[in-house]
Amino acid sequence: MNYLQSFAISASGMTVEKTRVDVTAVNLANASSTRSADGSTFRPLRVVSAASTPQFAGLLEGALRGAEVRSLKELETAPRLAYEPGHPDADERGFVSYPGINPVSEMMNLLTAVRIYEANVAALGSAKAMAQRTLELGG
Amino acid sequence: MAVDPVAFLPPVREIQAEARREIQAEPGAAGADFGPWLARSLGQVNQDLVRADQAVQGLAAGETENLHQVMIALEEARLSLQLAAQVRNRLLEAYQEVLRMQV
Repeated sequence: MNYLQSFAISASGMTVEKTRVDVTAVNLANASSTRSADGSTFRPLRVVSAASTPQFAGLLEGALRGAEVRSLKELETAPRLAYEPGHPDADERGFVSYPGINPVSEMMNLLTAVRIYEANVAALGSAKAMAQRTLELGG
Repeated sequence: MAVDPVAFLPPVREIQAEARREIQAEPGAAGADFGPWLARSLGQVNQDLVRADQAVQGLAAGETENLHQVMIALEEARLSLQLAAQVRNRLLEAYQEVLRMQV
């Protein structure tokens, strides 16, 4: 029984969800960032994950694959404009552009990622329990 | 009714000789000795333990990217150690069974 494979699959899922939590933290941290050094407004990021591309050997054997982070995508949301004339980053009309981050959807992403992470931990725990049960055979 | 012992003996000897030949032939036929296999398996267990140790050291030094990889390395090491312990238990049981055997 190759329990290392199920460990690796669960670990890949955990890595993806951890990246998702990190990215959500980045979005929330930049919720009131006005302008970066190059003058652009921060755009909320999203993790694009997919089933990991098979290695050559895995392709031959039809091995099971985990998940992987494919890319980080910037959302095309319009910046939120706030009228703050005295602000250093205000434009000529007195508007400051804040990132178009939706705190509700960010919290939803955060919770979903944590729950899926927990599910991965449960799957790994079950695989480990199975392996330990197997060791009890005949003993 | 008389049993003829002379006619009874030769087949027994033949079977014994054949059995001995089979036992002697087995290690050569399998092509693998138990000693090297045991050493190799223990080496793998040790390798897992060393890897878990390095992962924990990396965690303490703040070099680890993912906490779960450390925990998974620890679990792998624990499982392979448990497997080795179970193999040892079975071997010891078999050995004691042989020792208890009445000749």
